[in-house]
Amino acid sequence: MTDRLASPAEPQPVLSPGATRRRILMRRLWRHRSFRIGGGIVLAIALLALAAPLLTSTEPTQMNLRARFAPPSAEYLFGADNFGRDIFTRVLYGARISLWIGCASALLAAAGGAMVGMVSAWFRPLDGVIMRIMDALLAFPAILLAIGINAALGPQVTSVIIALAFAYIPRMARIVRAAALVVRELDYVDAARVSGAGGARIIFRHILPNCMAPLLVSVTFVFAYAILAEAALSFLGIGPPPPDPSWGNIIAEGRDYSVQAWWIMLFPGLAISFSALGINLLGDGLRDVLDPRLKVEA
Amino acid sequence: MARLIAFRIAQAIPVMFVVAVLTFLLMHLLPGDPATIIAGDMADQAAIAQVRHDLGLDRPVAMQLWLWVANLAQGDFGTSLMLNQPVAEAVLERLPVTGSLAVVAFLITIPTGIVLGVIAAVWRDTWADTAVMLLALIGVSVPNFWIAILSVILFSVTLGWFPSSGYVPLQDDFGRWLASLIQPAVVLALFQIGYLARMTRSAMLDVLDQDYIRTARAKGVSITITVAKHAFRNTLMQVVTVSGYILSLLIGGSVVIEQIFAMPGIGRLLVQAIMARDYPVVQGTMLMLGFAFVFINILIDLIYAYVDPRVRYD
Amino acid sequence: MLQLYSRKMLGALLLATALTSASVAPAMAQSETPKTGGTITYANNSGPGQLDPQMAASLVELEVLAHVYEGLVSMDETYSAKPMLAESYDISDDGRTFTFHLRKGVKFHNGDEMTSADVKATYERYAEVSPGKGALADVKEYRTPDAYTFVIELNNLNAVFIDKLKTPVYPIYIMPASQRNAPPRGTEVIGTGPFKLGEWVKDSHLIIEKNPDYSARTDMGGPSGYVGKKEVFVDAVRYNFLPEANARVAAMQTGEADITTALPLDLAKRLEGVEGVTPVTVFPYCQQYLILHSSQAPTDNRLIRQAIRTATDVDDLIIASGEAAKKNFSMVYPNGEYFIGEANAGWYDAGDPEKAKALLKEAGYKGEELLLQTNTNYDYMRDSLIVLGEQLKAAGMKVKLDITDWTTNASNMQSGKGGWNVSTTSFCSNPILGPQQWETMIYNFPHIQNNKPLDDAYAKFYSSLKLEDRVAAWKDIEAEVLDGAYMIKVSDRGSNRALSNDLKGFRPYNINLFWGMWLDR
Repeated sequence: MTDRLASPAEPQPVLSPGATRRRILMRRLWRHRSFRIGGGIVLAIALLALAAPLLTSTEPTQMNLRARFAPPSAEYLFGADNFGRDIFTRVLYGARISLWIGCASALLAAAGGAMVGMVSAWFRPLDGVIMRIMDALLAFPAILLAIGINAALGPQVTSVIIALAFAYIPRMARIVRAAALVVRELDYVDAARVSGAGGARIIFRHILPNCMAPLLVSVTFVFAYAILAEAALSFLGIGPPPPDPSWGNIIAEGRDYSVQAWWIMLFPGLAISFSALGINLLGDGLRDVLDPRLKVEA
Repeated sequence: MARLIAFRIAQAIPVMFVVAVLTFLLMHLLPGDPATIIAGDMADQAAIAQVRHDLGLDRPVAMQLWLWVANLAQGDFGTSLMLNQPVAEAVLERLPVTGSLAVVAFLITIPTGIVLGVIAAVWRDTWADTAVMLLALIGVSVPNFWIAILSVILFSVTLGWFPSSGYVPLQDDFGRWLASLIQPAVVLALFQIGYLARMTRSAMLDVLDQDYIRTARAKGVSITITVAKHAFRNTLMQVVTVSGYILSLLIGGSVVIEQIFAMPGIGRLLVQAIMARDYPVVQGTMLMLGFAFVFINILIDLIYAYVDPRVRYD
Repeated sequence: MLQLYSRKMLGALLLATALTSASVAPAMAQSETPKTGGTITYANNSGPGQLDPQMAASLVELEVLAHVYEGLVSMDETYSAKPMLAESYDISDDGRTFTFHLRKGVKFHNGDEMTSADVKATYERYAEVSPGKGALADVKEYRTPDAYTFVIELNNLNAVFIDKLKTPVYPIYIMPASQRNAPPRGTEVIGTGPFKLGEWVKDSHLIIEKNPDYSARTDMGGPSGYVGKKEVFVDAVRYNFLPEANARVAAMQTGEADITTALPLDLAKRLEGVEGVTPVTVFPYCQQYLILHSSQAPTDNRLIRQAIRTATDVDDLIIASGEAAKKNFSMVYPNGEYFIGEANAGWYDAGDPEKAKALLKEAGYKGEELLLQTNTNYDYMRDSLIVLGEQLKAAGMKVKLDITDWTTNASNMQSGKGGWNVSTTSFCSNPILGPQQWETMIYNFPHIQNNKPLDDAYAKFYSSLKLEDRVAAWKDIEAEVLDGAYMIKVSDRGSNRALSNDLKGFRPYNINLFWGMWLDR
């Protein structure tokens, strides 16, 4: 058997993480055009989400049935939906839920993937079993896994996060394992082991830091996927529950009005697209600088 | 080779079994009683209890699990609660729909993605590169169901180019089959095209940056021949590697696309079954999908071995 | 989206006067000579899961079944029971023996003639397997004196027995005796109806084909509801299952469908300007209610339930629901024989948060949380409960919204589990059929226990021979349900459909029936 399929590129270990190196990396990142643009977009959207209460005077669930389907105007910047709720306000607040779901599920997937990958790389007897299970899960489209898990947990924001995290753990685990296997064989890890350092200590002190680069890159791409996946789950009726807005459920609720009140689904759709675009650009930059040989995202 | 396939399948069986049992338990954790839905709202509690009994849902969960596994061992996937039809039959009936959608989308994805990636790599750092990569980026960033709804409004309702929904079986009429698939398949392929174009570009650049290519260029070999001879082969290898992943993404994405275009495929079957707590269908579909994906991956391995003689499976 | 499996149960009949349409319905003209041939394409929201009539409760199943099967008696267009496969029937003076004289020469789709043996087998199977078997609970025995006579004898007098037999939900449609021992949901689809089942691809489409051997009744001038003279002009009807309302509208716009249904009002409006298509709203269809769980704190407190009713502003719920709806305080329709009138009108659409606050104070309400449970599958339910949540908050109640899926929501409503206090649903056939069909819903959905006024009123209803006494009993029943705020009436919902202008002979009715319709092309 070959491992080639699953890990098309063995990431290059980062040898001595030092302050100088970090500074060099930062400078290279900053020079990277994709990183700058992507970072700018993501930062702008995050700031808009945080500043939502300052940017709008209404609540995202505030109804005004007289303003039902009000088209975009000075009063309703992005128009109003079938409850007369302000779409601009809902998109701003929706950013909080959507970004939170994307971010939290990517980080959770990374944490879970790191754990599984490390265990698999370190405790070789388990490796075969764990990786076979990961292979099987990897074979399932992430969205199907997420649908199943999310359905079982019931419609809440946390279930969406857990479902998406689980769905992306296998990918993360593979990446971490591949990186950890390389690091594991390096001299100084051997030295640490010989000098009697425990497994946990070696994992956390030596191996984990060296897997950070590929992990960080994958987290970024999974972040973007997760935002899209949240929207898809909402569309299928198993996303974050209304009335609190997420970009996905604003579109899902507005899809019946796609012609006569196009603004309901247009603006959150643009918000999703812009965020995913920004995050992907950011990921491109990170990948080019941190881990140039990683070609297959996540 | 035959031994390898047998080995891989044998290896997949216990894993699939774990997936199946987990699916079973997850489904039975869900609140909501399919018997209530089947009986209807005019049924009283006694009538609901009878439906539950008829369907065997009043048995302890452990026993239901055991019966299901025992039947599975004999190749029986059970009977759908809602569709009143054997699960295997329900899945096989819908396979051509999802299969057609995924295959057509795949056939759109592969050449388009490769061509775009090659263009971007060959004309690296030109406006063509920037334009193609921006398109690819948009492809991986835009929610496909959102594009699907907008696309129906534009291409079906306003322009009348394609049917707005439905699926025509291949054996009925090839032209109408293709017409019913083109729009959903293109929408479905957008993400994968973007993904593949990005991957192709970097795979190409990997080769183009290597010394021997630079030498060839310095010797005056024209760029097209260089591309064709050296870089492309390397790129194809990479494409084969990720094609299984692309196919799996396509099948995952078809869940939403089937819903919008009202195509009676496996994705729609699965979502409806989850919603309606049609336990046997969810379990059976997940299991069969799992095997399908394992099979696809084995196939990819074989193609890979064929394309790249250096790879030898032990 | 997924309207599959569970579209709210069947419904209402149409009063000719209640049809509202954007323009003059094009298909009403009866003077033209019908053309024969062609296939009507019907964009429906979902498809049947099974076609055993005795187990059928969902609208999509009942709609197909009504074309393929027929009952001894069925509803005509004014909801009354009329003989269909029975030529006529007699009721004995003591009201306990029902003699049905069957029509001769009625053939099943398999070519066999229908006889009393088939009828008896159908009734016997129904009493065993159907969730609606309560309708036959009083039966003592069935007799078949000859091939064309079927007799039902009851243990005790039941003045509404024929009304129970006409039920459109779990219909008692006559099947061949060969189906007597078919398992529930396992019957072969063999009926006597004017259409036969053709190709059926689950989740995709279903075709019903003209039955060339159908012998129509001739004693009525034309079709009337489920009964009357059923003439089929088209070769076939193709049901395409399109779960997305958008897709159904698009199919009408592109001419891919001739008729569609289950459109949200706002989406139906999109078809108003479209050439060749006419949107139609059919009333009455269903009645929407808020359901209050009376065995779950804090809504086990009558005063708190009344506070919720007092805080409810129906107009806003209707607007938000996006449904074509009419205001009506009653649990029946204004022209029905059980309609009480103004005496029972006082518990509707108060919309008075201040008075609600006073009631809460009187109830000793201390900010206990009210769980409003609904689902994502039916937009109108979700949207009206979201608005209700805001209204209750404005009246000082603490509200939590729980939006789950329909299966969970429906199971919880019927079982009382899940900790919910308020939910919403629609009842479709019950308001037409009368108090005997309301009973299960009235007790079951709000989980009413130990309610003596209600129990007494129902006892009086069943023991009353005269209609006026039964109406008086129903007055008490309705008053107790509404005053006690076990259920809060929201509206009479219409059914939004659309037809192509070359589809003729459309008769607005609770379901779409395709006999008598023809294509002018």
